[in-house]
Amino acid sequence: MRPSSNLNPTAVDNALRDLQNRTLARLNGNLARLVYLASTRNYNTGCYEHDGLSFHFSRPVAQEALAAAHREVFAILALSPLRVIVAELQRYIQSGCAEANELVAAWNTSEAYRILPPATDDPLTAKLFSSNIKVALAIVKATCALRPVRDPQCASQPPSPVQ
Amino acid sequence: MVTLLAIGLLAILVLVFLRNRMEAASTLNIVQLPAAVPAEERRQELLDRIFGPEDWEFVLSSAPKDVQRLFLRERKEIAFCWLHEIRNQAKAVMQFHLAHAKRSEHLRPFAELRLLIDYFLIRAKCGLVAAVLWLRGPMALRKMVKQAGGLSHQLRSLFELASKLEPLPIKTKGS
Repeated sequence: MRPSSNLNPTAVDNALRDLQNRTLARLNGNLARLVYLASTRNYNTGCYEHDGLSFHFSRPVAQEALAAAHREVFAILALSPLRVIVAELQRYIQSGCAEANELVAAWNTSEAYRILPPATDDPLTAKLFSSNIKVALAIVKATCALRPVRDPQCASQPPSPVQ
Repeated sequence: MVTLLAIGLLAILVLVFLRNRMEAASTLNIVQLPAAVPAEERRQELLDRIFGPEDWEFVLSSAPKDVQRLFLRERKEIAFCWLHEIRNQAKAVMQFHLAHAKRSEHLRPFAELRLLIDYFLIRAKCGLVAAVLWLRGPMALRKMVKQAGGLSHQLRSLFELASKLEPLPIKTKGS
């Protein structure tokens, strides 16, 4: 999704700030933010949808703010060192989205992380990101295999506000 | 003078040869320039991340052997994707230029020759990097980060040079 030149940049900035302060700031880590932002995109149309933001601003402004936030979070994560991505993945697991083993198995099987990048004009960056997540999953899996079963990182956690 | 004429003639002949080859290879009727190359700064950051030592050192120190092998396999694949991208972009620039050059009334032999040399240099460098990747793996490219960046820079120069060789007005039946 490309920024529309007809939109008021101030309105988009306000919507973006609102999104960052009210929603994204509450999420635990950039990976959680990326998962959230990618999930607001309709995969049939490629448009972002957020009822609350659309209600406060307008649908096109909300869409642009979500797209901008998605690009921003993705750019930070995609160019981060692998150790940061591993730490983000561990943090995401700790936030209680699923048990580590479950998440690793599900993500490895479905490769769900491939839909996390925004519609970018640089496929190489998206490829590097997916590859880093794949390696990070292998590292987390190896780490869990070495730890006791009830390790907090590998066992289930109470549901987080992210859910 | 004769030498210069010979060089110019040679350049034109090679361009005609390349044009025919690319036309045969391409099924597209419209030749377009490649999609915008990402900003130089971000591209360099991306190359540093792909070929830099930091991630490999992290994997070496914190992951078992099978994960290390996975990492090397993944990085090798990405490096080949990057090379493929550079080759395709260089080819697209040449196709774009040839599509315009064949309608041009006044070819500039020296500029054409320079473009051609740059194109073949990029191809040769891609071949060299691919050979290093095949033989010694992606981590052997750690010391070649600058050369890798140079390849992107060369591609940009090729793009700029092709853009400078502005196509001359197309002859129409009415004019």
